[in-house]
Amino acid sequence: MTATEQTPFANEPVLELRRASVRAGLQEALATVEARLPVEVPVRIGADRRAGDAVISTDPGAPERVVARAAAATSDEVQAAVAEASRGLARWRAVAAVDRARALRAAAAWLRERRLELTALEVRECAKPWLEADADVCEAIDFLEYYARGAIELSRGRELVQVSGERNDMSYAPRGVVAVISPWNFPLAIPCGMTSAALAVGNAVVLKPAEQSPALAGALVTALRAGGIPDAAISLLPGEGEVGAALVAHPGVHAIAFTGSLPVGREIVRSAAVVAEGQHHFKSVVAELGGKNCVIVAADADLDEAVPAIVGSAFAYAGQKCSAASRVLVAEPIADQLLERLAGAVEVLVVDQAQTLGTDVPPVIEAAARERVLRYGELAAREGTVVASAPPPDEPGWFCPALVVADLPENSSVLSDEIFGPVLAVQRVRDVEHACDVVDGLAFALTGGLFARDPETVRRVRDRTPVGNLYVNRGITGAMVGRQPFGGNRLSGTGLKAGGPDYLLQFVAQRAVSENTMRHGLVV
Amino acid sequence: MTTARPAPDAVDPEAVESELQRVGRELAAAFPSSSRQPLRAFDARAMELATGDQELRAALFRFVDVVPACRSLDDLAHHLTGFLGEVGETPPPLAAAMRISHTRAGRAALGAAAAGGVRHLAHRFIVGESPQSALPTFRRLWNGGVASSVDLLGEATVTQSEADRYAARCNDAIAVLSRATAGWPTRPRLEADGSGPVPRANVCAKVSALTPLLAPEAPRRGQDDAARRMRPLLRAAHEAGAHLHIDMESLDSREAVLDLVLELLSEDEFAAGPSSGLVLQAYLRDSPDQTERIVAWARQRSAAAPPLTVRLVKGAYWDHELVQARQHGWEVPVFEDKADCDRNFEALSRRLLDAGSSLRVAIGSHNLRSVAHAIAYNRVSGGEDVDLELQVLRGLGDDLAHALAARGFRVRAYCPVGDLVAGMAYLVRRLLENTSNESFLSAQAQGASVQELLAAP
Ligand SMILES: Cc1cc2nc3c(=O)[nH]c(=O)nc-3n(C[C@H](O)[C@H](O)[C@H](O)COP(=O)(O)OP(=O)(O)OC[C@H]3O[C@@H](n4cnc5c(N)ncnc54)[C@H](O)[C@@H]3O)c2cc1C
Repeated sequence: MTATEQTPFANEPVLELRRASVRAGLQEALATVEARLPVEVPVRIGADRRAGDAVISTDPGAPERVVARAAAATSDEVQAAVAEASRGLARWRAVAAVDRARALRAAAAWLRERRLELTALEVRECAKPWLEADADVCEAIDFLEYYARGAIELSRGRELVQVSGERNDMSYAPRGVVAVISPWNFPLAIPCGMTSAALAVGNAVVLKPAEQSPALAGALVTALRAGGIPDAAISLLPGEGEVGAALVAHPGVHAIAFTGSLPVGREIVRSAAVVAEGQHHFKSVVAELGGKNCVIVAADADLDEAVPAIVGSAFAYAGQKCSAASRVLVAEPIADQLLERLAGAVEVLVVDQAQTLGTDVPPVIEAAARERVLRYGELAAREGTVVASAPPPDEPGWFCPALVVADLPENSSVLSDEIFGPVLAVQRVRDVEHACDVVDGLAFALTGGLFARDPETVRRVRDRTPVGNLYVNRGITGAMVGRQPFGGNRLSGTGLKAGGPDYLLQFVAQRAVSENTMRHGLVV
Repeated sequence: MTTARPAPDAVDPEAVESELQRVGRELAAAFPSSSRQPLRAFDARAMELATGDQELRAALFRFVDVVPACRSLDDLAHHLTGFLGEVGETPPPLAAAMRISHTRAGRAALGAAAAGGVRHLAHRFIVGESPQSALPTFRRLWNGGVASSVDLLGEATVTQSEADRYAARCNDAIAVLSRATAGWPTRPRLEADGSGPVPRANVCAKVSALTPLLAPEAPRRGQDDAARRMRPLLRAAHEAGAHLHIDMESLDSREAVLDLVLELLSEDEFAAGPSSGLVLQAYLRDSPDQTERIVAWARQRSAAAPPLTVRLVKGAYWDHELVQARQHGWEVPVFEDKADCDRNFEALSRRLLDAGSSLRVAIGSHNLRSVAHAIAYNRVSGGEDVDLELQVLRGLGDDLAHALAARGFRVRAYCPVGDLVAGMAYLVRRLLENTSNESFLSAQAQGASVQELLAAP
């Protein structure tokens, strides 16, 4: 496809699961995937592959089921991967933007052809319920399609002021070797987004995926290479945290794209600031970190809409999204009504296996996560009142009850820590202004919600809120590429918004060239 | 009886068309003058302004929507001016309203006027707070030759106790109506057709209100939960001799609703009744397939049961279906051309009427052409008028209902009952639907000629 044939970007349509014929395909895909488990995920540096089993990913809903056996990259392999990436960079940056875009779009096509199987793999490896898993696969495809188009746009450069006798232009060059460190909660979309943005503008990438989801990262690398990205330009280093740390510290890395928790993000920013002997660049860090996301419910809100939207935002995928709602700030006049309806709506949530259609709350990712969530649940019960809970099934799997808590003291850590689980705290506020003060007092500023019908209230909150993504009269998760560019402020992130028109700028170095066009007193 | 119908292809379309034109003109002639047209009567100015100006339409509807959530007249006035403030060019009367809202007394006056306006509007559509309080209206309609059906408005059901409360209200409606209607005078037209008696008491229920568990991707979950509340309602209706009708909602819940109704009615306990029905939406592209499924089901059902009533409508969630499909990148499930929708409505009318006595056909429309078509086809294909029921929405189809009743048709008015808070979503939907450019009622209100109104789609 040539640049002129480029169709405008459109989001990949999610499965229409309300149709029985569409649902019918899911179990078959699951069976196909299960027959192939466990998946082998080798260290992949250039054309080399080294298999291993130092990292094992298991099904959070059935911990005895091994989903993937991955090798853990050694420090020598980190060195080798960066060296290979430097070679890959030389080749890949020389490829024209349209041709790079073509490769990314071919990778999107590869994913598209295997959508159901990838979705099923997410159901198993991360306990993502079908709806959520499907959305993740679609988002991965969207990132490839969106950044491919954006990079072509960027390659045209920018208009500068031109006066006679000189020719000025500004263009965008890749930064170099980009280390991508990705989380498990959007196991395909997030690594794909960071990686494809870096690749689209000509960088080489070394990907270190979360140890909980190596199988999906492996599939991503396969897709990119199948699409035509040179082996040397995309390497895969499965492993635990120290692999990521070694990558970040490596002087041959130019930029780091990270999505994950605040403590790790802080450590990355610190480590990346060090300029090693002989390192001739500052590393840039693109970090998407946590959130403590509040939904404000004004006195004139429509509770028929607010309640289901809040429940979905707080409990879908067991609250394991950085965008998930974890606090509700409700105006006093409707607080009782909201609490009663919210409690009733949470009591009917189905906590069950991810592969069961109709599951609202799947198990959390791993044993340690379950312990953490249960600990916060106990703390919340001690410091406040549990107003509703949906019980977990009596099955192996890292299940946690879904909880709604009220009456917490202002200094409760339940109100400030990112719990990353199915726990929602509700707090009464005098009015919207008071709610804005509460939001303003938080260290995080990722997403936020507002339910209100008065246009003036909407304007006021828009103006005051520090959050990166404010959602008005709707759920606060599910940002779509190109429609809701995503990313936070304050300690929620450093970067420009993912899936937005400016994201690629973080992966380029700007170059301005001014050429004198006067020769012997004449303009030539 | 309608069993002796000719084969469908033996029915002459030209004969149907000319009968349709005759019936349509006759009915149109019975309408009151255009100054009493339903959309004009209550708030002529506001409706006229709203139909003409999209921004203003949005502002007024957003206001109507928020009225129940407002806590004082001041708050009401504040919201009203807030919405109007977003309209580019405010017409003079509204600009004046915004000026007086600068003082507290002005806001109180404006709030009171606006609240009164909305209440007045709501009462056109919503007949009472409870079935009990709506009884005088039902009785008046009956005396005038119009049967009724009660629809219980409520907030969305998000909890089990809300579902229980809704089921209790349905149960209460069945009891109240069957008791009260027993004493009504005889109206043979309204009480029997070729298949037998038609219950006087008629109650509609929504599956989404009977369970908080409906999920598009897991229809079974909501279906099973609703079933445990619907069985007692079917039992109650059977014992009281009432009709229970299950409304159809958006496509997200269609599978659950249709399976629920057909499965419950197939249970042994309900083999002999009660009289019951469901809804078919002609705006859905796949509605012909659904029709075949329903017709086949009705055919094999035991003859001991009263025939299933199928209410054919175009569908009330057109914008929702369109927007949802576009946002998700799905094929749009509804027709996007109004004429396609209208032609399909006519085709399905014929299909249902051709199905014979295993079904009762009810046409739910205010479109004179759609209604006249069903009447004409039924006649030309050898059916009796009594074997066709015509249904309208209270507040929108009142004139049509009276015209039909005067000509001896069996007409039923669908009457929402509930408080203002619960009613607002319903009201907003009706207003949006009927101020849209594609609406028959708004074409009629704008003075389209009978010829235009009756033209083939
Ligand atoms: C007694 C009764 C019961 C009802 N019960 C139900 C129910 O259970 N479920 C339900 O969904 N609805 C129900 N309805 C509502 C009904 O669907 C709407 O009132 C009806 O669609 C209005 O249609 P009409 O024939 O009166 O008017 P018309 O003006 O002829 O038709 C308007 C309708 O056409 C359709 N339409 C509008 N624009 C387009 C377009 N561009 N392309 C294609 N189609 C378009 C829409 O469905 C719109 O509502 C009921 C109506 C009545 C009278």
